[in-house]
Amino acid sequence: MHSAIQQQLNILDYGLHSLWQKKGKNLAVFLIFSAVIFLLASFQFMSASLGKTAEHLLKTVPDITVQQLLAGRQVPLSTESVEKLDLIFGISDIRLRIWGYYFDESNGANYTVIGSSAPATDPLLESLLVSGRYPTEDENHKVVLGDAVIQNLDLQNRTHFSLFRPDLSQISLQRVGVFQESANLLTADLMLMGLEDARDLFAMQENEITDLLISVGNPVEISTIAEKIANALPGSRVITAQQIQKTYKAVFSFRSGFGAACLLASLAAFVILAFDKALGFSREDQQEVGILKMLGWQTRDIMRLRFYESLATAACAFGLGISLAWIHILFFDGILFRPIFLGWSVLRPTLTIIPYIQGRDILLLFAFSVLPYLAATIIPAWRASIVRPDSVV
Amino acid sequence: MENTPQIELTSVHKYYNQGQENEVHALKDVNLSIARQEIVCLRGPSGSGKTTLLCLIGCVFGPSSGRAAVGGKQLQRMPDEFLTKYRRETIGFIFQHFNILPHLSVEKNVALPLLPLGISPREQKSRVGVLLERFGIEHRKNFKASQISGGELQRVAIARALINDPPIILADEPTAHLDSRRSHELMEYLVSLRQDGKTIILTSHDPLVTEHAGVDRIVDVQDGCIVSGSR
Repeated sequence: MHSAIQQQLNILDYGLHSLWQKKGKNLAVFLIFSAVIFLLASFQFMSASLGKTAEHLLKTVPDITVQQLLAGRQVPLSTESVEKLDLIFGISDIRLRIWGYYFDESNGANYTVIGSSAPATDPLLESLLVSGRYPTEDENHKVVLGDAVIQNLDLQNRTHFSLFRPDLSQISLQRVGVFQESANLLTADLMLMGLEDARDLFAMQENEITDLLISVGNPVEISTIAEKIANALPGSRVITAQQIQKTYKAVFSFRSGFGAACLLASLAAFVILAFDKALGFSREDQQEVGILKMLGWQTRDIMRLRFYESLATAACAFGLGISLAWIHILFFDGILFRPIFLGWSVLRPTLTIIPYIQGRDILLLFAFSVLPYLAATIIPAWRASIVRPDSVV
Repeated sequence: MENTPQIELTSVHKYYNQGQENEVHALKDVNLSIARQEIVCLRGPSGSGKTTLLCLIGCVFGPSSGRAAVGGKQLQRMPDEFLTKYRRETIGFIFQHFNILPHLSVEKNVALPLLPLGISPREQKSRVGVLLERFGIEHRKNFKASQISGGELQRVAIARALINDPPIILADEPTAHLDSRRSHELMEYLVSLRQDGKTIILTSHDPLVTEHAGVDRIVDVQDGCIVSGSR
């Protein structure tokens, strides 16, 4: 082997050996660094996982959603309004929906209830089921449930259960399907049923719904058609899929940016700590440098030694931090950051996050943690290496 | 013993913090010539300049003025990098407290000067093994330096000084912290190195060293000056 490479390997070997022998001294920096990387990585992984899940699920959002407002608040919409929209050219399909929340007093949980006019015919919804099927248009008292609802109601293998109407009479329902885990962001707390059943549960009038879901044949025309709908239904709120996606992105970006800013501040604090610690070389460390220089080690050899030690510390801390973050997301559903990401939710049911990691996230974390650490230790390493050997030996 | 001077200092001055308030004139007009395979002891009280003289001969720094030649190389205009390179090829150091790194094994300590030379681990082991065997401490090679006795430490220090096979061995107060038996042992080791062609320079005011039969010459140093240079 070329002696220059062997020289590097010798110094690296010495650095690793020395680091291991003095592991007690470096433990605090290693643990704090691992913790900072763990927090940053957990945050990044969770942000990426939620973003990806949301992006996937928002494909199911209709092209246009129409709601009725009165005094700025949402009120039921009459099914008769569908007739007014029939005149608008370009609309390929109109579905009726009731969207509401059911409060379960027995365990204090809120469930999202969606009554749809035709869930079984929607190809996008079809992909969200893990087992069973959707209720057909002419079926009553059939429901598809999210994972968290099944757990909260403690259904286990039972398929039949009851909910209370506003007058406290009971409505019996039968579970015919379960949503898949990857759709949990939207479906964890969801009960999907036929339109008639939802109307019955919320005691709504015969011709009342909460939303109209409109599909448009040509995606280029969505905004034009939305405008026409707004004109045809005075007092309505017309929302396009693009607007919903923008809102989700804005919410995630804001929360993600806020959290990342806080964590980067903690990383900066750690880098200052590392710089400070590296500056404060002990008498023992200085003596070691002095001995090595007396024995013929060049200043650059000492700098390389310190660099390798820092690199090894940073690499191990990075590996540990990333692994712990992965475990945090995979097995503990990112419990530390749930309040930041899901804090707007008033819903009690739990949410399982599916981890999603990209190579660029790892590179980003490396660039924002290991590189600043190495940079912070270069100046102290240089200062230590220019010690005059006769002054310390 | 050959008569060719291996170390030649002519009108050497050494200042610390030159031009500053705390300037120290550590060596004053020093003239010294040491031949190959000679064993020379630098004697003098604390602060007399003998360690500075030893460091100068050991290429730790060059002179502030005057001429200093070690092994035929002029040190006065040599940049630090070349001084270091020259030091590791020419000089073996034995320090006052031995300066063995306590957290490393005996084997690793002895091999330290070889690491920046790009010597392979196999070659390192082989060279270290030969020296440890010669000094009777091969059985301790995997022990941490903090786990071996004082006598063994001194042998580790000698082995480390010899690992690069340097022609000059410098020992700074090598017996300062040893009892008389160990001091005597150490001197025997050092004197035996002459047979390998080594030139040995010690600093000491210990009679066990200065009066040792193997020492060829005593050089008295006082206030940075050489006041006498023969035995």
